Amino acid sequence: MPGPGAKSWWRTTFGLVALVAIGFGLATLVVGGIAFEAVHEELEQQLDHRIAAETAALINEGDDGPDGVARAIGRREAARSTASLDYRLVDATGRVVAGRLEVQVPAAPGYLELLPHVRHGERRIAQSLTTRLPGGYRLLVAADRAVIDAMDATMIRLFAGAFGAMLLLGIGAAWTVGAVTRTRLARIDRTALAIIEGDLARRMPITGQGDEFDRVALTLNRMLDRIALLMANLRQVSSDVAHDLRTPLTRLQNRLDEALASDDRLAQAAAIEAASVQSRELLDIFAALLRIAEVEGLGPRAQFATVALSALADGIVETYRPDMETAGHVLVAAIAPGLTLSGDRRLLQQLLTNLLDNALVHTPRGTNVSVTLQRRATGIRLLVADDGPGVDGDVTRLFERFTRAERSRTTDGHGLGLALVAAIAAAHRGQVRIMPPPGFGVMVEWPA
Amino acid sequence: MRILIVEDDPDTSRFVARGLRELGHHVVTSADGRDGLFLATEAGFDALVVDRMLPGLDGLSLVKALRAAGNTAPVLMLTAIGGIADRVEGLEGGADDYLVKPFAFSELAARLQALGRRPVAAVEPARLSAGDIVLDLHRRTVTRAGQRVTLQPREFALLAELLRHPGRVMTRTMLLERVWDFDFDPKTNIVETHLSRLRSKLNAGFETDAIETIRGAGYMIRAA
Repeated sequence: MPGPGAKSWWRTTFGLVALVAIGFGLATLVVGGIAFEAVHEELEQQLDHRIAAETAALINEGDDGPDGVARAIGRREAARSTASLDYRLVDATGRVVAGRLEVQVPAAPGYLELLPHVRHGERRIAQSLTTRLPGGYRLLVAADRAVIDAMDATMIRLFAGAFGAMLLLGIGAAWTVGAVTRTRLARIDRTALAIIEGDLARRMPITGQGDEFDRVALTLNRMLDRIALLMANLRQVSSDVAHDLRTPLTRLQNRLDEALASDDRLAQAAAIEAASVQSRELLDIFAALLRIAEVEGLGPRAQFATVALSALADGIVETYRPDMETAGHVLVAAIAPGLTLSGDRRLLQQLLTNLLDNALVHTPRGTNVSVTLQRRATGIRLLVADDGPGVDGDVTRLFERFTRAERSRTTDGHGLGLALVAAIAAAHRGQVRIMPPPGFGVMVEWPA
Repeated sequence: MRILIVEDDPDTSRFVARGLRELGHHVVTSADGRDGLFLATEAGFDALVVDRMLPGLDGLSLVKALRAAGNTAPVLMLTAIGGIADRVEGLEGGADDYLVKPFAFSELAARLQALGRRPVAAVEPARLSAGDIVLDLHRRTVTRAGQRVTLQPREFALLAELLRHPGRVMTRTMLLERVWDFDFDPKTNIVETHLSRLRSKLNAGFETDAIETIRGAGYMIRAA
């Protein structure tokens, strides 16, 4: 399977999760750095305070001058064997007066962060404060930085560990998520390939865990079912077309054979005229089939305009009234005024015409035919019904091509009229259904 | 009439040309859109029959180019079945009438005849008349030899359409298109029924038939 280009490796699931993990790791580093710096500064300040307080205490204790301070240093050094503070007092010439700390006392007063010195033969770093005393004496108080250094080391170990764990966890998660995703997708991919190869009955595997992969698989399966249904329809329609065209074609050929076989010119002419009628009928079937296909292929808002549906229905009813009366039917119309629909005027005319044609042609004398157009809460409802003998058998198939009800077997027609009605209704987002007996009725409902 | 046929299907072209010649027209044919346009702009034709799908230049573009060049010769456009939008497009593009294939020759002849002698006047007169029949479009009244005839709206529209083309055959599909605005053929005889009602109302009390039925073609009102 060709993989994605090297440029977009990070678009893979592994890459994305790894990126997030690296991001979290870097964030840990930054937070760690800030925390480290804050703690480090705080500790240094605490040391400074301690040194300053000790310096003040020494000067206070030895208020009679350098000698007093030297005595105070001596007392402290004698009292604490493991003191963390060290002292050095030198006079103006730099001679050591008191204090064990072996270090050169800086000439300038003030804090010094890093004071190298030797203690118990060990090279160490201290933090110190040098203070000038009267008479040129200089007092140095130093605190060992080992505390800070130890804390620093601990913190660095802590944050490095956290960063490492984060990175390991992240890469592990990336690898796991990537592997799981790849496995699930590979299963869908394999199924799709099998369908492409021709195994049209195959469906996406469902684990039953209800996760997003299952949801996608369910949607894909519904899509595949829909396609399968459409393909079955298509097959059905093509075989219906072939089957239903065979009869008129055979009749056409019979007429032409008749004409060829006959010597009588009048009989020939009659046969050729009959053949001409047959071919006209075939062309009508094709025209009707193409019309249905065309209407079914109309996009959702194909060149639709606002159609005055009530006026249109009134006009069609008036057009059919004479024919209905001639056929001995009673036509009753209840058309609510002012109803409009977004649609194609001619198609809507054809819908109504087909329904009235059916009511006129397939019912006996004296049948009552009604056309009702109403506004309902749910939209617009059109009902064309008759109280004739009705239709037996499976009425749901009447909207399919070439389906003819028993009552219409003896009359002209090819079972395409209601199929076109259904197609036109659907093109206008409407729904059609056959009304239950008695009689026969077709209801079309358009949503508001 | 001098008629130009621009049609690439040789069978259709021959069939139409022969029929029109038999009716006494002078016919020129072309099988290519570009040649057709050239011919149409060069020689003065009284009417054109143009197929929608043509090699070189399609029928719609041909008519548009012709109209853009100021040529006003009436055009009858031919199209294959199954084009709800085609008809509107063709008429908007400058064609004067539209005929869907396959068609009966009588249908084409009637439509060409209606186009060929179309009055130039763009404004329709308020009164239409033929022989002793007078129809007032504004007052919506009809008289025959001065006698008032009461008609239903459809019958009135039907009579008006026939009176707009006196002496010319109007076919069933022409009437369906122009009176009912149907671009399809209903299974029932609505044209025949309405026409027979109109006819009996017009003929009541008269010896002569006001509307002539031309068998296999359509209906006609005599000019005088």
